Amino acid sequence: MTRTRRVLGVVLMIVLVAWFLTPLLPLGLWAGAETWSGTSPLPQRWGTGNIASVFAPGGGAAVLRSLALGTAVAALATPAGAVVARVLALRQVRRPRLVEGLLFAPVALPVFAVVMGLNVVVLRLHVPGFLGIALVLVVAALPYTTFLMRAAYASYDVAFEEEARTLGASSGAVRWRVRLPLLLPALAGAAFLAFLVGWSDYIVTLLLGGGRYVTLPILVASAASGTGNEPTVAALSLVALAPPALMLVTAGLLRRRLIPRRSRSARRPGPALSSSPVVEGTA
Amino acid sequence: MSATLTLHGLTRDYGGPAPALSDLTLRVPAGSCLAVVGPSGSGKTTVLRLASGLERPDRGDVRLDGASVLEVAPEERGMAMVFQRPLLFPHRSVLDNVAFSARVRGESRRRARADAEEYLDLVQLSGFGSRHPGELSGGQEQRVALARALAAQPRVLLLDEPFSALDAALRAEMHDLVRKVRAALDPTIVLVTHDQAEAASLADCVAVLSAGRLVQHDTVDRIYSRPTSLTTARQMGGRNEVPGEVCGHHHHSVLGSLALPVDVRPPQGPGVLVFRQESVQVTDPDAADALVEGTVVASRPVGARRLLTIEVVGRAMTPHGGCVVQVHAETPPGHPVWEGDRVGIRLSPHALSVVPEEIGAKRAHTSGMPPRKSEAPVRSGRVSSGP
Repeated sequence: MTRTRRVLGVVLMIVLVAWFLTPLLPLGLWAGAETWSGTSPLPQRWGTGNIASVFAPGGGAAVLRSLALGTAVAALATPAGAVVARVLALRQVRRPRLVEGLLFAPVALPVFAVVMGLNVVVLRLHVPGFLGIALVLVVAALPYTTFLMRAAYASYDVAFEEEARTLGASSGAVRWRVRLPLLLPALAGAAFLAFLVGWSDYIVTLLLGGGRYVTLPILVASAASGTGNEPTVAALSLVALAPPALMLVTAGLLRRRLIPRRSRSARRPGPALSSSPVVEGTA
Repeated sequence: MSATLTLHGLTRDYGGPAPALSDLTLRVPAGSCLAVVGPSGSGKTTVLRLASGLERPDRGDVRLDGASVLEVAPEERGMAMVFQRPLLFPHRSVLDNVAFSARVRGESRRRARADAEEYLDLVQLSGFGSRHPGELSGGQEQRVALARALAAQPRVLLLDEPFSALDAALRAEMHDLVRKVRAALDPTIVLVTHDQAEAASLADCVAVLSAGRLVQHDTVDRIYSRPTSLTTARQMGGRNEVPGEVCGHHHHSVLGSLALPVDVRPPQGPGVLVFRQESVQVTDPDAADALVEGTVVASRPVGARRLLTIEVVGRAMTPHGGCVVQVHAETPPGHPVWEGDRVGIRLSPHALSVVPEEIGAKRAHTSGMPPRKSEAPVRSGRVSSGP
């Protein structure tokens, strides 16, 4: 029975890995192909020209813009989501259901309706391009960060903070020395999601930027709309995968370094990037 | 280090049918240990939360050495609290948990850790500093929590049922540790517990709370021997309640006319005689000094001892109870008494106390039922006296 389970586990793992790697395989082949005729199963000539072309003038700027957009959205939506989640979790607002409904409305409504509505507001207020796009994307990212942090606060024990206060910690010290470390995995997860919203956005950037604000997704879409651009599209897509993958690995390493294995399994609150252990009940 | 804590007229209302705490006034002298006991929901934890500043009272004052600290933030009151759960910070090692208060005071990491080592040594956990909370047992975690609170050098140490989640052996160890800490550091301690034995074991004084009100505040000895209410007697584990009438300096009941101790001066009229089951001596039914005789109707072990329920049949119905009363007695090991045995009961006059009757608080110890018709013969031989 145990052996059958082990075998099933291995098979499941192989299927999962194949599931994730299968789309990447053609991307890798195309990105590394200098010459690849349709009849050959593999490229005839390999090289780094396609990847290098991504960082050519225009491409590099688009990557930087996407990075800036993802970072800005993460930097704004993560703390905002954390604050809203705390207010909701600790019931510091009178009608939490109403607040939750308003927050999650952008997810429930058609994205075009939301973006067009906000587009009008942003244009009327003369908000500069990058800031306008970032702010609209924060609205889109906020439900995700709030949801993640709300789940974290549901298993977060405020008694840790009370204990710290009776030990002499000011509210600032409690925030930095207790709350932040305890919620770090959830915050990292929320920041990751928010970054992805900014990093991979196409519609908001296109509508608000009017085609003048070129980011990596705009570039990918533009290249993909033409024919014979498979190597370029593949290289752009691989580059688009790099930052999120790098963030995941860094977060995992940091988590491993900051929190010892046994404590990790004991009482870390909230969902994290790699796992979601749960702490005991709230105070 | 230690300070006198005074709670004056503390009231806290959460909007329920009754306030969580009503007009509580208590004084805990510097270096003493007060145990606050009471059933769940009696307001015990609220006392600590108001004292520590984690909550603000609706009315009343909290004073340290006579000075009000009501406007002082919790972190500046100098009252460290140990909760029921250890609440060790999982992202810090044991040593850094204990060093936490020194770090937030601005001490260097090296100095804070050096001090923390001393407190770990005090709770007999030297060498555990590099471990993380997840690597400790429940008892060790609570020891670290105690060390962490002591390292904050509090003027008052607040303990909120810190040992209730531990098994009996660990609890006894922790009690020894608290005694050691008291001897070494002489802190003022307020201990909240629902365990009357723990309160008696650790505290100098006990405050009994019921429904948010202070019922009695007295020394451990007096709270056991001279309860002022049925609530206190029951909260402290007392089982014997005999309704009757106080006339002169005697209590008249199914047990007869019993002279009261000189320091017990209840008002004349109806009153409930209370005495501890440990103070009841079980004798041979024919013993000359037996107060009354009765039949053992239940016998169950309480650790090494046995708790007997003895049914005593009065000679006549009394106005304040039936003609049958149940008396509970604890007997030491080695004195087998069985259900159905007839035994005599002896009561020490000093163990008696009288409290007012409480409406709706009647226990099933007495009844207006007539005596049981079938009375089993004595199976054992002579029954020697109890403790």
